[in-house]
Amino acid sequence: MALSKIACNRLQKELLEWQRNPPTGFKHKVTDNLQRWIIEVIGAPGTLYANDTYQLQVDFPEHYPMESPQVIFLPPAPMHPHIYSNGHICLDILYDSWSPAMTVSSICISILSMLSSSPEKQRPTDNDRYVKNCKNGRSPKETRWWFHDDKV
Amino acid sequence: MNVSGNKFSQESKERERCEELAKSSSFYRKVYSEIEEIGWEPLRRLGGDLSFFSFHILDKKRRAHILEIQLDRDYPQSPPSVSADVPYMFTLEWSTSSGLKDVMYQFQKHLDNLQEFWSVLDDIDKSLCVVDTKQPSRASPVRRIHAGNDCIVIVHINFDDPNSLPECRFIGPVHMNNLYMIWRRNNKKWSKEKSFPENLECILGMELPKPMNLQAEDDHQQIECGICYAQFLPTDEELGARSGTRTDYTCENISCNKSFHSLCLTDWLRSITTRQSFDVLFGNCPYCSDPVAVKINNK
Repeated sequence: MALSKIACNRLQKELLEWQRNPPTGFKHKVTDNLQRWIIEVIGAPGTLYANDTYQLQVDFPEHYPMESPQVIFLPPAPMHPHIYSNGHICLDILYDSWSPAMTVSSICISILSMLSSSPEKQRPTDNDRYVKNCKNGRSPKETRWWFHDDKV
Repeated sequence: MNVSGNKFSQESKERERCEELAKSSSFYRKVYSEIEEIGWEPLRRLGGDLSFFSFHILDKKRRAHILEIQLDRDYPQSPPSVSADVPYMFTLEWSTSSGLKDVMYQFQKHLDNLQEFWSVLDDIDKSLCVVDTKQPSRASPVRRIHAGNDCIVIVHINFDDPNSLPECRFIGPVHMNNLYMIWRRNNKKWSKEKSFPENLECILGMELPKPMNLQAEDDHQQIECGICYAQFLPTDEELGARSGTRTDYTCENISCNKSFHSLCLTDWLRSITTRQSFDVLFGNCPYCSDPVAVKINNK
């Protein structure tokens, strides 16, 4: 579905603000598609992911910001206890805890902080089962997530 | 003898209790129907036993006022007590056939009488540097105005005749005596045709310091909707008559104070689980999580 006028207007302003003041460690790859942002993430210095680069794909729904964007890592996704090998991220603000007071920029900062606090580069324990159950191209927003761990 | 006496007192107690219940249920019914008559939308706070509540009222210049009302158990025999952010309260005209609607009507008239007084206060608060508080009160006729050079002018506005020469006192180091002398010499020049700040600057023969808040930046922040980031809604078939409207709702938590289009806020509140009563949606501000109540506009 194409973006609504309200969503389009808000995204243009978010993009403008991003260009003026980008979050540290992120680079927005310039495209002419406002509805899908590709963002490069650079692991924070002094963490397990220092100097690693990954790519986030952010897709906006027609009625953004009333609904959260869909955020996944493009392959290869970082090894992390909350990131599945298909790129899906287990992070509450991307699903139940989303609020229109958040922005792409604030999501990025949350993701980087999640990466930075990881004690080891490891997949979630239920990775294989979860990935198998996600049939081709299923959105992580259709998953019923359990946010059981707030330490990492 | 004893037994029947007991029975008698029991019966009378029972009757008393019934009367008490009937009385309170007729009290609730009465208050409820009187609120209904005014409408639920301006209602801000409501005590569980319906003995106190407050209404949100806009005056002719769209200044917001809160009227607090307290009811006695024998209402409407005894009149309600009312309080509000006004320099003096009106005398409530009350008869047993009066209702809350009459209170609202009389309050509105009282507000009308104070319009000129508040226009003067607003002029002062907007264009001069008022030093007493962050949010100068609408109830107080006194303003402390920074006059530069560590001098303060305390003005007392006459609410019966707000454009007349105010009572003025000067506070500050020795050199403020000069200011006082100038005031005494020139105050006959006070003109009801000029605005208050103009008069003051003209009589003192100097330009007075401007308000120090970072208004330019704040204004810019506050008129944009915290959800769609725009000041005006886009023009769109789906939005119908609300195309192009401004933000019309502000979070009441003063330290948050975010503005929204009520359309954006209701859209958001509807997309999560939210309580609705009549045509009002209840939820939380997406920024500060304080409770918000917003009326659903029909297209």
